[in-house]
Amino acid sequence: MTSRIAGASGAVVTEKATSPVQRWREQYGSETMPARTEAGIPVAPLYGPEAAAGDYETDLGVPGSPPYTRGVYPTMYSGRAWSIRPLAGFGTVEDTNRRLRLLLAEGATAINTVFDYPTNRGYDSDDEWARSDAGLGGVAVDSVDDMVDLYAGIPLDEVSVSLVLSHPVAAGAILAMYLAAARRRGLDPAQLSGTLQNDFMMETVVLTAPSVLEPDFAFRLSMDVTEYCTRHLPRWHPVSFTGYNYREAGADAVLEVALVVANAVATVQAMRARGLPVDAVARRLSAFFTAGSDLFEEVAKYRAARRVYHEVLTDRFNPVDERSTRLRFHVQTSGSALTAAQPLNNIARAALHGLAAVLGGAQSLHVSAFDEALCVPSETAALTALRTQQILLAETGITRSIDPLAGSYLVEHLTNQIDSRVRETLATIDEMGGLVEAVNLGWVHAQILDGACQATADIDEGRRPVVGVNLSANQAPTAVETFDVPETLPRQRERLTRVRSRRGNAAVTAALHHLDQCVVDGTNTIPALIAAAEAGATLGQCCDVFRTRHGGWRQPLR
Amino acid sequence: MPIRVAIFKPGLDSHYRGALTVTRYLVSRGMEVVYLGNQLPAAAVRAALQEDVDVLGISSLSGNHRESVPAVLAELRAQGGEDIVVILGGIIPDVDRPMLLDAGVRRIFGPGTPLAHIAEKITLLVRERGGSAASVPIGSLS
Repeated sequence: MTSRIAGASGAVVTEKATSPVQRWREQYGSETMPARTEAGIPVAPLYGPEAAAGDYETDLGVPGSPPYTRGVYPTMYSGRAWSIRPLAGFGTVEDTNRRLRLLLAEGATAINTVFDYPTNRGYDSDDEWARSDAGLGGVAVDSVDDMVDLYAGIPLDEVSVSLVLSHPVAAGAILAMYLAAARRRGLDPAQLSGTLQNDFMMETVVLTAPSVLEPDFAFRLSMDVTEYCTRHLPRWHPVSFTGYNYREAGADAVLEVALVVANAVATVQAMRARGLPVDAVARRLSAFFTAGSDLFEEVAKYRAARRVYHEVLTDRFNPVDERSTRLRFHVQTSGSALTAAQPLNNIARAALHGLAAVLGGAQSLHVSAFDEALCVPSETAALTALRTQQILLAETGITRSIDPLAGSYLVEHLTNQIDSRVRETLATIDEMGGLVEAVNLGWVHAQILDGACQATADIDEGRRPVVGVNLSANQAPTAVETFDVPETLPRQRERLTRVRSRRGNAAVTAALHHLDQCVVDGTNTIPALIAAAEAGATLGQCCDVFRTRHGGWRQPLR
Repeated sequence: MPIRVAIFKPGLDSHYRGALTVTRYLVSRGMEVVYLGNQLPAAAVRAALQEDVDVLGISSLSGNHRESVPAVLAELRAQGGEDIVVILGGIIPDVDRPMLLDAGVRRIFGPGTPLAHIAEKITLLVRERGGSAASVPIGSLS
């Protein structure tokens, strides 16, 4: 048998029946230990050209051309660097505004605002459920006034703004507040560029809450956002499929990619049903992946994800616009791979994670701070993470040549392995009737929880070494100063009191009644949410409308 | 009698990975464990009393432990549940630990704690309390 493959030099080589690698395996194979990647893919101690067998043209091609394995844009980082998009959000809007401006002044090229637990879940800061979490894990936003102050002094028509508001229960309301705030500043919403996370999986699978929306309704709300953005906000990404969070919750790299692709398929189908063709929708979809510690598997993951995404969307929807099948993604380096023990080690880990993201062709990157397992990042930790990106970009030279690991026998082999495993998982999801059904059935929950338990057992039992945890764990503790989130609730109560006393309550009641009608009759909820936001309705009031009708789903967590 | 445990997440903390991983493991070690999901302090304590648990586990990664844990301990006193052993897991900065331990938390487990260690400590705490005769084999634990 002969096969044509891409060698390390990029040139096509031809090999004979018994390769030197096969002879090496016969001679030395028995002296090596069997190994697997984090996702369980077997890895041989040596690969040769046969491992990367395939057709260069159809499997790899050049960047910017199908199947996009080597990158979604023709020139990638040799044309333009990735967006340095650090994540920030804590306390009140004043606290976070200061941090955002600091990061922009220090070299960030885009911003990424994370909202606190109550905001993501659609509760006002002074709700009894919310009080102990106000300002934690992100910034507290309850009204349009908060949104205006959050971005004070930041040119929203120039800077791309990612809103890490993941739960559909609140995603539409937060987008509505963002649009209303931009209008108040005299900006045309059509000029705004950015991303809303808006993934129904966050509501129903990845995270938990007191009152979870039914999957069908959570998905419908996320599709309201997607439809509205597709029709009215040409520069906005209405959804970012949160592969990162699937993984952090327990999925492996294969499941992370499969769920993202399945989610994109469900989205395009839903938009078709609303009269929007694939080309109108798909070019604005985006994804969000993690970068974990298994370096080559992670690089292969991004490459395989682009190829599978392109091929699946092409096969199922037959788009005309080339942009429709390009998988563009943001990467956040893994938080769960960072350790509370010996926290300074996390600087090295996060740098290696960031390296994987860049070698894999990410469009935008957040490197996690070394104190992530201890607290909300301190200013020092946040700046060190930002500098890590700058070191990768400016000092290492890894951006000179596009997709630099292409042609690596190992990386091409892993790319093919992940590709075929993702397709198997997609077939399983299809058999269940698609992703929303797979969630309804509890299949996704079970996969993720099984993965989480396995990973913990692997670390506890020493099969997965983690320095400082099950290896070299006896070092004297290093004291790291932990960051204290400024007290948020009293200040947020004042802001809420101001909003509630200034607004016209009759107008708010009417707007919420109209929102409820939209929920019942199936009308897109975004115009009603914008009207409610402009009337002064708070986030919690809007989201209570949804919870009253469709809350209380029991997540199948076992 | 197997040891009975209830585990919940206070307030709006939404990361269930740790709580569910611990739940599954303790069940595999022969304990009876009920996962209560997100709860406010009063309701969590009511459920713990209804379930007649030996141990109430609080899982908090959001930082809400400063408010929620003292509130849970106060509810236990108010509702007559002082006998219940309270343990805490999640992201709990060192600086907060003395306050929580003084207030009545018996044990705090941070990220990376081996599950076997958690099971062993629970068994010992329940034994010390003189409650159920623990049937969980601990001989195999380090």
